[in-house]
Amino acid sequence: MKGIIFNVLEEVVARQFSRDVWEDLIDNAGVDGAYTSLGNYADEEFVSLVTTSAEVLGKTPGEILRWFGQSAMPLLATRYPYLFESHRSSRDFVLSVNTIIHPEVHKIYAGASCPFFHFKPSDNGSMMMAYHSKRKMCMLAQGFIEGAANHYHDHADVHHRECMLNGDKKCLLEIKWAA
Amino acid sequence: MLPQVTDDPGLQVLRIERRLQRERAARLEGEAIAEKGLRELYEKQQRLALVETIAAASNQSASIEGAFNLAIKEICKYTEWPLGQAYIVHCSSEDLRLEPLQARHVTDEDALRPMIEATSATSFVCGEGLPGRVFASATPVWVQCLATDRNLPRADAVVACGIHSGIAFPILVGREVAAVVEFFSYKDQEPDAALVTLLGQIGIQLGRVIERKRAEDRLIYDASHDGLTGLPNRLLFRDRVDRAVARARRISGEHFAVLFIDLDRFKLVNDSLGHAAGDNMLVEIAQRLHGVLQQHLAAYTLARLGGDEFTVLLEELDSPNKAMQIGKLLIDALRTPILIDGQEIYASASIGVTNITGTEPSPETPLRNADLAMYRAKSLGRGRVELYDIGLHDIAVERLRLEGDLRRALVNKEFILHYQPIVSLETHEIIGFEALIRWQRGPQDLVFPGDFIGVAEDTGLIVLIGGWVLREACRMLAGLQARYPRPEPLAISINISPRQFTQPDFIDQVRRAVLNSGLEPRSVRLEITETVAIGDPERTILVLTALREFGVRISLDDFGTGYSSLNYLHRLPVDTLKIDRSFVTGLGLTAEGTQIIRAILVLAENLKIDVVAEGTEQEGQIRQLADMGCHYAQGYYFSKPLALPDLDALLDSSAPLSKVAARTAD
Repeated sequence: MKGIIFNVLEEVVARQFSRDVWEDLIDNAGVDGAYTSLGNYADEEFVSLVTTSAEVLGKTPGEILRWFGQSAMPLLATRYPYLFESHRSSRDFVLSVNTIIHPEVHKIYAGASCPFFHFKPSDNGSMMMAYHSKRKMCMLAQGFIEGAANHYHDHADVHHRECMLNGDKKCLLEIKWAA
Repeated sequence: MLPQVTDDPGLQVLRIERRLQRERAARLEGEAIAEKGLRELYEKQQRLALVETIAAASNQSASIEGAFNLAIKEICKYTEWPLGQAYIVHCSSEDLRLEPLQARHVTDEDALRPMIEATSATSFVCGEGLPGRVFASATPVWVQCLATDRNLPRADAVVACGIHSGIAFPILVGREVAAVVEFFSYKDQEPDAALVTLLGQIGIQLGRVIERKRAEDRLIYDASHDGLTGLPNRLLFRDRVDRAVARARRISGEHFAVLFIDLDRFKLVNDSLGHAAGDNMLVEIAQRLHGVLQQHLAAYTLARLGGDEFTVLLEELDSPNKAMQIGKLLIDALRTPILIDGQEIYASASIGVTNITGTEPSPETPLRNADLAMYRAKSLGRGRVELYDIGLHDIAVERLRLEGDLRRALVNKEFILHYQPIVSLETHEIIGFEALIRWQRGPQDLVFPGDFIGVAEDTGLIVLIGGWVLREACRMLAGLQARYPRPEPLAISINISPRQFTQPDFIDQVRRAVLNSGLEPRSVRLEITETVAIGDPERTILVLTALREFGVRISLDDFGTGYSSLNYLHRLPVDTLKIDRSFVTGLGLTAEGTQIIRAILVLAENLKIDVVAEGTEQEGQIRQLADMGCHYAQGYYFSKPLALPDLDALLDSSAPLSKVAARTAD
């Protein structure tokens, strides 16, 4: 996991709670805590931070990931404005994840392992997004989508039609953008 | 003294937090700088990789289309532009246009079909549309919003495809725009200076591909075309004939023919007016031949084999007779004189025609057959068309046999000389003879020079034969002078062939023949033709001067039939002009015939040169020539060429003299 994710998580926690909460989180999760955006850190450290947060806040790890995704978007928009400026809606933005956002991520973070999303419009006008990763962070994806909708001031409903957390082979998210 | 530091724990905590904030800000700033650097590095590497990929592919590409296709695909991949395509500058007789090149990359063919179709159907002149503007300015053109662009012939297609921006850049060879590549984007693409630079670098690579292809094409073209006329050469012509033979074998009802065209007496033009004039003439002739063929045929190949030899392959003829008709038209096309350096030159050609049957074993066969037919046309009097038949092959075989026979004739001493008297029109006396060769091929078979001198010339045997004539004529005259002593000794005129004259030891040959016979050199007249005289003017003057210093005299044969300029004639050390029989025949028939002879006589008088009229057959001619002041004549009117015994009889009787006296006295 790239350090930037840890940095954004730290910012989200510091903004919503406080820097001290982040310090406690690090201590309780038993992780090192010195993260630079360009560094590489074990996935387990992130998982540990999420799990610890869930315990502290009385939520599920999924709920924490979704909340993180939603809250991270404004920070990312500040840090990487050029990724947001060329789109006019969250739909545009989300659909550019494979072709623009992840290639841009690779420009800065060589060796970053970004997931690939398969998009397929469904007959009812919504978009089906397939996701497959050993990290099983479909809830983070949902949070990012919802955060993007907030950024562009539109609305996206996300439903998990299939989910690896429920034992499915892949995650299949149905995204319905309000017309 | 050390500065005071607070020891209040609360203040210390605040201070540490501030320090932390600064550290965090420093870290974020450092990361941002590093990220920016990495991003730029990445993009530079990507651009470098793109140029490298295209450069490598360009160096290996077999075709312009292949290199362009790859470059366009890579650029589209890099920029995510959905459509890229290329044009190549096409040079027609009217203008320069950009024509679509078979090089395109398209991500969504269905969506972009209107644009592709509009492009395939259009060519652009300089300044027209997006590619035309690049062509005109030789610089990239970036149109961010095509919707508001006024110079856009494909505006409808742009709207139909939802295209927003267009980018085009030139492919330069040196400073010349050789091609244009254009791209379209659905997005509102802001001009990107770095990208334009990148496209410029790619343009250089693609320019090299075009340059290399042009050099290749040029080499292939040069190897298969004649440099002077630009026509296909022998190599390419052979190839075309080869294919025609194969087609004739497969397809019945379609006729093919080969024409072999040889200009008549072209060497004279080269020799008298210079090679530059000869070259101009060949170019003009090639254009005329082209004109005729273009007008009458759909498919043909006109080639120049070299020198004054042209060939034509006629294809898709509806009848086998058509080739002969075309041959006649080609001859007609040469009838109008050609103006070279302000001088009117009359060209003519001899043409041999052969139809391709499809059974020819090699492309050489039709060429050889047409060549044989052409020789036939030449021997039948030039300026005509002859069709090959198997008989011509027999003639060629006969020529070979003749050559063998001539060699044996030399060894077996089968050649003899006959002598035709040359008579003074003033005193009516025989003043000398012209030695004329005959070939005693069998007891009753006397062959005249017209039937074998050509072959002897072609094979070089003429040098040996001519040497014999020289020695034999001198030897004979020495005997004759001894038998018939005169105050002005009898003289002998000996014909010298062009090849004999060009022998390096020609002067020595003459010296030896004259000295060995014991003759006074002045009794010997060497007859050279205008062709000999103008072959190599400077050498000719040197040789003739040396011979005159030795003492022999020089006679210029067939005067007036060639192209020698009067200025040159003036420089030639010549004692006698021989008026060609063709002029003598015209004497009295037309006003022109008489005027020509009068002009020659005036000229000769001014240059202090004697004149001998050849081919005199009628009394009227003799009288007229005498009246006009011609000094000497020879011809059947006085005597046919005689064998030596008859010659003695004539001199003994002196009959012809009285005959001349009797006829000119009244």
